[in-house]
Amino acid sequence: MAHLTEGTLRRMVDDPDARSGADAAHLEGCTECQGRFEVVSDDARSIATLLAVPDTRVDVGRAFEHVMSERKSQPALGFRLPMLGPTNRPLKLAFVAAVAAAALVVVAFAAGGLFFQPTTVKTVPVTVADMQALSQLADYGTLTWTKEPQFQATTSAADASALAAGLQPPVVANLPDGVSTTVTYGAMSEAVATFTFSADKAAAAAARQGKTLPAMPEGMDGATLTVTVGPAVGEIYGNLNQNPSSASANSINLPQLIVAKSASPTAKSTQVTVQQLEAFILAQPGISKELKAAIGAIGDPSTTLLIPVPVEYATSKPVTVQGVDGVTLGDNTGVGSGVVWVKGGNVYVVAGSIKQSDAIDIANNLK
Amino acid sequence: MNLGARRMTAVGSEDDAFEALFTAEYGRVVGIANRVLADPHEAEDVAQEVFIDFHRLHSATAEYAPAWLHRAAAHASLNRLRGARRRQKREAAQALEESDHTLDPQKQLEVSEDRRQVRQALGRLAPRPAAALAMRASGLSYAEVAQALGVGIGQVGTLLRRAEAALRKEVTRGTSN
Repeated sequence: MAHLTEGTLRRMVDDPDARSGADAAHLEGCTECQGRFEVVSDDARSIATLLAVPDTRVDVGRAFEHVMSERKSQPALGFRLPMLGPTNRPLKLAFVAAVAAAALVVVAFAAGGLFFQPTTVKTVPVTVADMQALSQLADYGTLTWTKEPQFQATTSAADASALAAGLQPPVVANLPDGVSTTVTYGAMSEAVATFTFSADKAAAAAARQGKTLPAMPEGMDGATLTVTVGPAVGEIYGNLNQNPSSASANSINLPQLIVAKSASPTAKSTQVTVQQLEAFILAQPGISKELKAAIGAIGDPSTTLLIPVPVEYATSKPVTVQGVDGVTLGDNTGVGSGVVWVKGGNVYVVAGSIKQSDAIDIANNLK
Repeated sequence: MNLGARRMTAVGSEDDAFEALFTAEYGRVVGIANRVLADPHEAEDVAQEVFIDFHRLHSATAEYAPAWLHRAAAHASLNRLRGARRRQKREAAQALEESDHTLDPQKQLEVSEDRRQVRQALGRLAPRPAAALAMRASGLSYAEVAQALGVGIGQVGTLLRRAEAALRKEVTRGTSN
């Protein structure tokens, strides 16, 4: 019989169930394992001594009253992130708008002859008015796909990787307790889109909304912006159709955890400079002072991926992930949290109905 | 029974179930947090946060309730351990408390230094072995630790061994410097 593993030896120190059968018989007759058992027992004993604490006396009744009063002071709906409100239509729309705004902000600041390739992420606060103002930019020209994205959901990491040009899905080291181990892999192929600005279209769009268009930079008519996104791969944990009967009316039927990795988006433009385009976008009617200030504070827009955070619903803060700067969204209530960072030419996202600390743990241990 | 009355009963029984769960598990949840933090007051803070979080998202009748609470207690307290400001405050309080009943000042100093080191090191361990150790040290059975971490019972020994060997090494290195 092979020698006993360290784990088996450790269990034999203080688990009566482990001290029987073939393992126990082996230990009895093996001097090598006996020696290792001594080391393992010594370590267990000395750590137990160092971790020893005096017994605590707790007043359960008082603690219960405190918890119940705290609980009642919490909002009935714990929504802090717009993406967590599938039954709440305005919130869902706000999230869609935020995504659209994100794409536009990223795209907009990529322009100006600069080759955009983000190496870090920052959040910018956006209001509903900002999102409306930014989404109208989509009417200022024509979008064509040079290479359309293909999506695929699969149960195999290898299939996902094959679609994503060999990009390997990230591996979660430790799933938080309560998160389902049911995993679905998703992949997106590389996609390339070109946006061509049109002065006529912009004027028509502004006229339809009864607004005066800010002055277009010279050369913007006919300027192009080519954006490459992906390939991307990810994992979705949780049964997507699950709706546990034990959950309350506030329960959220969302995947418990999404982990994704994408090649950093890149962009290049013709005819206009980044300063011109930045000034033009920030001059759109409806852009808030907060967003202007936040974008003004970004050092080098060509290396920063901007993440719009709706000011009403989400909280965010900078965090160090795997030795690089990232951002974390949400909080520690377990309602929802996410972490985004850029490393080694890839953008990583960990998000789900988990605690912020768990999201950060997963992010730091992602392989 | 009309719908409104049925709903009232359902809410009532959920609250009753939560109270029963709280009564059964509060002491154990505090115990896990206290093993990590060595500060009963902070441990109670953590335990209460854990119960509030649980109540907001889960049903007290869920089978996984105790396992969820144990794991959340371990992780929440380990997270606090990693917070520098709180750590300093806690160490100061701990030193004060221990100085109240010191028998041999030199020996007490050594033990307290080892304890400080072992908790610092605990905060640096990978989350799962650290959580396994905190739970087992606070008296949870192997089966309970396995359930809380969602691992097989055979893996608990491996996690404990990994945590203890790493901590022993840190403490030995610290005292030999």
